[in-house]
Amino acid sequence: MYGWAGQRLRVDLSTGTITKEPLTYEYRRKWMGGRGFNSDVIYNEVPANLDPFDPKARVCFGVGPVSGTAAPSTGRVTVTCKSPLTGGFGDSNMGGHWGAELKYAGYDQIVVQGRAKHPVYIWIDDDKVEIRDARHLWGKFPREADQMIKEELGDEDIHIVLIGPAGENMVRFACTFNDVWRAAGRTGHGGVIGSKNLKGIAVRGSGTVKIANPKAMMDVCNRLRQAFKPDPMKIGLYEFGSLCLINVANRDGWFPWRNFQGGAHPLANNMSGETHAKTVLKHREGCFACPICCGRFTHIKEGKWAGEEFGGPEYEHAVPTGPRVGILEDANDIWHNARLTNDYGMDGIETGGVISAAMEWYEKGLITTKETGGLELEWGNAEVVDKLIPMIATRKGFGAILAEGADRASDKLGLGDKGHYYTLTTRGMTLPGDDPRGLGFGYGLSFAMGTRGGCDHLRSLCCLELSGALYPGLNTRILGDERPNKPVTTVGKPYMVYYEENQKATTDCLQVCCFTTHWCYTVLTPDQVEYLNAVTGLDFTEEEFQEIGERVYNLERAYWARQMSGAREDVVPERFTTEPMPQGVDYQTNVGVVFPLSEMLKKYYKYREYEPGTGFPGERKLKQLGLDYVAKDLAPLRSKYLSESEKKKKKYYY
Amino acid sequence: MAIMTKAQAKNFAEMDDFMLELCDFLKSKSVIDATTHRSILLKGFSRMVECLQEKKVISAREAKEAMDKGFTSLVYSLAK
Repeated sequence: MYGWAGQRLRVDLSTGTITKEPLTYEYRRKWMGGRGFNSDVIYNEVPANLDPFDPKARVCFGVGPVSGTAAPSTGRVTVTCKSPLTGGFGDSNMGGHWGAELKYAGYDQIVVQGRAKHPVYIWIDDDKVEIRDARHLWGKFPREADQMIKEELGDEDIHIVLIGPAGENMVRFACTFNDVWRAAGRTGHGGVIGSKNLKGIAVRGSGTVKIANPKAMMDVCNRLRQAFKPDPMKIGLYEFGSLCLINVANRDGWFPWRNFQGGAHPLANNMSGETHAKTVLKHREGCFACPICCGRFTHIKEGKWAGEEFGGPEYEHAVPTGPRVGILEDANDIWHNARLTNDYGMDGIETGGVISAAMEWYEKGLITTKETGGLELEWGNAEVVDKLIPMIATRKGFGAILAEGADRASDKLGLGDKGHYYTLTTRGMTLPGDDPRGLGFGYGLSFAMGTRGGCDHLRSLCCLELSGALYPGLNTRILGDERPNKPVTTVGKPYMVYYEENQKATTDCLQVCCFTTHWCYTVLTPDQVEYLNAVTGLDFTEEEFQEIGERVYNLERAYWARQMSGAREDVVPERFTTEPMPQGVDYQTNVGVVFPLSEMLKKYYKYREYEPGTGFPGERKLKQLGLDYVAKDLAPLRSKYLSESEKKKKKYYY
Repeated sequence: MAIMTKAQAKNFAEMDDFMLELCDFLKSKSVIDATTHRSILLKGFSRMVECLQEKKVISAREAKEAMDKGFTSLVYSLAK
């Protein structure tokens, strides 16, 4: 078999059973890999009413047919579960080298189920798989546990997925890391892994990926690597990491100042990629086979946090516990907070989201120091944020309430609709540090429609409106129009989001980094099909490639429908649709803009063939995609969703 | 080959998001079948132009112009 390893590893931690299941040709062709394999397992094996922390729940790690090859950036892994944060479908993916190593060990996917009696980790050494004691690792930061496991196994070159203390404490937005610093940040699977008493998965693979047509593969890879050299986005990402966006975000008014009360600030440059590179950048890092190398390694040289080091930060990791909570004066406070969320193993976006919501509740008088245990949650109070991050991770004091995520915390505090107004979530998940009033209306639409909740830049990734203008003719080639290059317009956006969601979903099934295919539009769909066919020896077409993404997207949407989540929940936080963007700096381009979601939603539904009333995937579309069984599952739920009793339940999470 | 009126072309040219409507229109005129309709939505505008050229609805020059100038140019070609 070419490309795929051809098998799934299943580990039941309750029974200690380890099984290897073959993945048939038809299955691989239908779901491709990574995100597709995972979404299929979660849909079929984790029912709607199951508590995500129930031992019967699954957590999946998936790689794809080109993982571990020389195609650009093939080290990614998707981690999928029923999200304990949203109660719906949840996945996230990460870079690093672990994905390639898993492939070399001979697996396309790992499914973990059950709950161990005490903390354990899984050790995969090619075909030998063991469940080992991890009691001595419990409570350790990922960087500590990583080193301890490497010493224990006597091999510095193995690659390890780990959770931090937040995952052990089942914080609802705990995340997972591999190679210490590469995070799969969103949707809270770290808590699901912790609920299984699983600290991590160490892998050593000595195999290889069989390539059907090595010459064709080398030709396409060489061509693409050459093409990356002059790519303008690649140059920016290499030089300044994703922090290269800070000054752009500030100019275009999508910089998340104080929980999106504003979109720009005169001090933004304090944390820009340019400033980071001059002051605290120790070195640049790249994931497996990456021609971009956007990874940073930070060393704080001065001030209170001098001497601290960590991998990162990304834009989305730095802004939530920085400007989103009003911290901007001293960037070292921002780098420090990013280091803390890494060490404790929490999604930086959700951590900043829940703290900024709490700060706004405090500002508006919805809570006082009585509820916070004496913490004065004033904007920009770096000392309080420094205290709160560990309190959340260890579920101490007020941190235990925030560890539930913003919407649950609001309900626990009894804040009603006023509390939810400030949580800035969709389907229970905090939106990332990107204000759709400035970043773009396509992004805003995709925040409303994301199949993992208020999802971030990594779902539709409709960069055609962000970086598309850097690639002359690209928007015309795909959309027939260059006008969608402009972020703050509805022109062309419904089709853009439909197209990009499908494209991104298949890219996640291949498990290559979307920075090669979206931010940098150096690798386009025909290139991906070319290297996929060179690796597998098969005859995928562009249509089939895009259709796989559409299938995956509809299955994930159906997962939400099964939870009674549909059209009513296709919203973005009201702040974006009702509050005009204020002026933060005199050169800001989007003052007064509100986000017109409803103008685009109807057209988007038509592209997707979602039912207008329920928002559920239509029966014809599901059957067209070979998802007849999903259509059957949804049939009895369509009228139920529209029933009066169901309409009365306003849901923020499931 | 004219498959729409100038007024229809103007109507398409003024749309914010034309792709689905134009595909539906081409299908209603039997210029494309259901499979091609789907193929265009999955692959994008370049596939629409390619298909219309293959079917000799537009010339090579018009196809090039459409890829250079976008869908407005294409719909006015379809009205010629």
